Formats: sequence, structure tokens, C-alpha cells
Amino acid sequence: MTLGITTYLIYLAVSIALTVWVARTLHKNGRVFLVDVFHGNEALADSVNHLLVVGFYLINFGYVSLALKLGYNVATAQEGIEALSVKVGMVLIVLGGMHFFNLFIFSRMRRRASLQNGPPPIAPDGFTVVQEA
Amino acid sequence: MPALTVLYDPLCGLCRRAHGWIAEQPKLVELSFVPIKSEEARHRFPNLDHARTLKDLTVISDQGAVYFGPKAWLMVLWSLSKYREWAYRLSSPELLPTTRRVVSLISQNRYQISRASGLSR
Repeated sequence: MTLGITTYLIYLAVSIALTVWVARTLHKNGRVFLVDVFHGNEALADSVNHLLVVGFYLINFGYVSLALKLGYNVATAQEGIEALSVKVGMVLIVLGGMHFFNLFIFSRMRRRASLQNGPPPIAPDGFTVVQEA
Repeated sequence: MPALTVLYDPLCGLCRRAHGWIAEQPKLVELSFVPIKSEEARHRFPNLDHARTLKDLTVISDQGAVYFGPKAWLMVLWSLSKYREWAYRLSSPELLPTTRRVVSLISQNRYQISRASGLSR
């Protein structure tokens, strides 16, 4: 096995492990938000949560796969580690970006939902007797 | 769902136009419209200061909370699903003074505005 192939394999292993870790974190901790957004409808929350994670996996694995090619031969171990650090660093940044985007979506959904049962914006000028029509 | 009653001035073209627009908007709160100085208004709100309803738009909740002028407009915005965010924004301490000024300006000149824009018949 050449050094280049080893670099690729390590890159794949690290990227896939990282993606799975972030996706699981998102799946586990995003659920609470979604249950709140859907007013305790857990079945719907789980469904949306799962769909979001599937999208997350698709985009990230797509990126990992596209960014695999190095474009030059790795001759020494030092070169291999350097190539690896650039590639894994890029994957980390994409994962971070995706993660914050997901958080943004969660918080926006939650804000929308909480707006719906928000209290009146201001205090009344007074009170009066209301007769039935 | 709470309900709000809006007392509006049927003699002013601008108000009729606003009434039509509000009636078409999707709502988070039930709104009903009652013309000012009408039998219905006096019957339903016997203790209300009806002279004041001539000057300002008035909104009354089913609990009897009364909102006049700018506050009434904020309550109307709050009742519309697309504009609830705006109600909170416009009632924030930074924007509330401007909201009050603009609403009273339009409210005081509503007959002139209606005439100038050709809304009064």
C-alpha cells in the first residue's frame, strides 16, 4: 500500500467519523427544540429531525467524497500528514458551517412557533364592562 | 383563542379601506368590527368613553381591556399572523414614541388624507 493510498484511507476514516459524530449530536440535541416547535407532537418532531439528519449526511459525505482527490503524489510521511491536515481541516469547517446553519434553522422555527402564542405587545389603557352581543 | 372588537369610524374613507384590508388578512386572533357611535357599540360597552372613540381607533378584548389609538393599532397588527412580529418591533421602547407620533398624525388628519387620496365618497 503506497503512502498516497494510506493518506486517503486515513482521510476517509477521520472524515466519516467526524460527520457521524456531528450528525448524532445534532440528532440527539435538536430533538428537544423540535418537540417544542411542534407543540409536543413527538412523532412529527422525530420525523423532521430524521429528515434534517439525512440531509446533513448527504451534504457532508458529498463534500468529503468530492474533496478526496489530492492532485499530487505523496512521497514522504510529512507530506502525507500535511495533506491530511488540509483535507480534514476543510471537512471540519464545512461541518461547522452546516452545524451552525442547522442551529439557525432550529432557532428560527422555534421563534416562529413562540410568536404564535405570544402575549399582547402592550398594556391596555384601561378596562371596561363587556355585554354579550 | 382570544377575541378583539375593533371600533372604527365608518365615515372616514381611509378607515373603511383599512377595515377591508384587515378583514382579508390571515389572523391569529378573532377580530370583529363595530362602527363607532352605533347602537351596538353603546350596548356592548355601556361604560366606555364613547367620545374618545371618535378621536382614536379603539380595540377592546373579550376580557374588557381597552386600547386606544396607537395601542389599538399595535393590537390589530398583533392579531394578524403576518404582522405579529411588527407589533412587537413597533412597541419596543426604541420605536414606541415614533409609532405613537405617526399613528396620531395619520389619525388626526384622516378625513383630509381620505379626501386627498380620493378614498372618501
